[in-house]
Amino acid sequence: MSFFSDSYHLFIRWMKKLVRNPILVFFSLFQPIIFLVLFTQLFSKFGSLIGPGVSYTVFATAGIVLQNAFSSAFQSGTSVVDDIKSGFLTKMLATPVNRSAILFGRILSDMFRVAVQTIIILALAYVLGVYPQTGVAGYVLVILTVGFFGLAWSGISLALGLKTKSGETVFGIAGFLTFPLLFMSTALVDPTSMPPWMQTVSSYNPISFAVNAIRSLIMPPPHCIICTNVFDWSTILQAYGVIALIGVVTLGATLYLFRKVVS
Amino acid sequence: MTGIIDVSQLAKTYGDGTKAVKGISFNVSEGEFFGFLGPNGAGKSTTIKILTTLLRKTSGSASVAGFDVDSDGAKIRKIIGVQNQDTVVDEDLTGRENMTLQGELQQMHGQALNERVDELLKIVDLVDAADKRAGFYSGGMKKRLDLATTLVHDPKILFLDEPTTGLDPQSRAAIWAYLKRLNEQGITIFITTQYLEEVDRLCRRLAIVDLGEIVAQGTPSELKQEIGADSISLGFENSTMNGGDTRSKAKELLEKKFDGISNIVNSDIGLTVYAKNGGFLVPEIVRAFDDAKIGLSSIGVSSPTLDDVFLKHTGKRIRVEEVSSANYRGMFSRRRR
Repeated sequence: MSFFSDSYHLFIRWMKKLVRNPILVFFSLFQPIIFLVLFTQLFSKFGSLIGPGVSYTVFATAGIVLQNAFSSAFQSGTSVVDDIKSGFLTKMLATPVNRSAILFGRILSDMFRVAVQTIIILALAYVLGVYPQTGVAGYVLVILTVGFFGLAWSGISLALGLKTKSGETVFGIAGFLTFPLLFMSTALVDPTSMPPWMQTVSSYNPISFAVNAIRSLIMPPPHCIICTNVFDWSTILQAYGVIALIGVVTLGATLYLFRKVVS
Repeated sequence: MTGIIDVSQLAKTYGDGTKAVKGISFNVSEGEFFGFLGPNGAGKSTTIKILTTLLRKTSGSASVAGFDVDSDGAKIRKIIGVQNQDTVVDEDLTGRENMTLQGELQQMHGQALNERVDELLKIVDLVDAADKRAGFYSGGMKKRLDLATTLVHDPKILFLDEPTTGLDPQSRAAIWAYLKRLNEQGITIFITTQYLEEVDRLCRRLAIVDLGEIVAQGTPSELKQEIGADSISLGFENSTMNGGDTRSKAKELLEKKFDGISNIVNSDIGLTVYAKNGGFLVPEIVRAFDDAKIGLSSIGVSSPTLDDVFLKHTGKRIRVEEVSSANYRGMFSRRRR
């Protein structure tokens, strides 16, 4: 099947491009790292609001890890716009390359990149004393969850890029969406400290679902302070349900728009 | 008609109603070096896009190597190489990686691919720069790399849209030399270009398109013979005189006073006059214009070239762009002030 080999070759292309432009990785890691190192210090008193003995750094790590997926995945759309504008897409389309593989290679690279960045952030968090209560399995699940979230989320960016064919628009909309979505979720604050209307928004915010699952893997559940290896499967499965739903919608839209661009 | 490219009554109307191609027919035989010429917006790129399966036709028929462009697109894409008007290479990848990727997308792999890439790097003189990122290449090197990437899978037919536009003369000559060699090895070449001297030298046959229609086709010498006359190019000092258009006054005068003239067409600097024995006519024209007080800024005679063929059929010089005529007007008005 040329779908798999083509996807692989194009995945490698994107990875090479990323490694050779480390500034891109730097920029998408910069903000989460600042949050992890400085922001958590600034708001360290927040921890005791959430519960007795709760470290804000531990609490916020889940949100920060997701924030990195968020901002990286949003770069996806601009890359497709670049390929359309430079003519590289046309050049590929004149070869027998599998059409869907062009998209899939990119999405795969987004997922991989987000996973690697997550590992970097988790390593830094480890230095700061944050590690999942669920152990190695927890690490794996956190990385997978963030990876899949990145995959689903890059679909929004790709769809925007294909629809508008303007990198600036993708960037603008991404910037416009990032803060409200992030702050009106459980990423950085406990919902109990939100005004009621924001609590409602936050409970429907897809980011909250993903963050809650990641947090459940990192932080011990509220009723026990020194729990280890407690997997809150209902929260995790809910998150995967939401991610799958976003994925189907955004990637479906992307595929539809791509077919229109291609033919 | 059975050529490697067969086009019959091909038409393309875009969604906004623009009729880019209006029922053209031509065929290219295997191994031919075929030139497809026309002014900007004539429908050249649209035709190339249809033949390379990047765009769907509206009506008519088109086949490449016997495969229908609509139903057998995948088969066509395996045997063609396509170079677009803009140079397209991935600047983050090295020259070698760019070529390898194109080979991989053509389902090549392993030793065969590596050998082919090495061979092509030699042909386009990029061995030394092969492992440098294409972003560091000069314009000419990028163009050569771009050309090489289209050749990795050893295509039977090469479609080239303005492959040498914007290059320095040396790089241009190099590209044309590669193309000549490729053609000698049996690859069919379908090319659009603005460089008529090269077309004259290399293309076995050509078609001239204008406003979506083919206005002439044949071998370069056939087309030049058709003109059958020298061309005298006249440039006027002023575009208007005594409240009238200089061109039409001059045309009137020429038609009245001279018999041997076969055709007069407008050019961007004035008029182009076609006549047998143009050399003998020049002094007479100068004298006549002097008497009629029509100021000449330039006059020149040449035996027919493809440029004249082009001008005759399209009413335009091939490289006339709006910019140049605007510049000309700008210069002119400044001088008057």
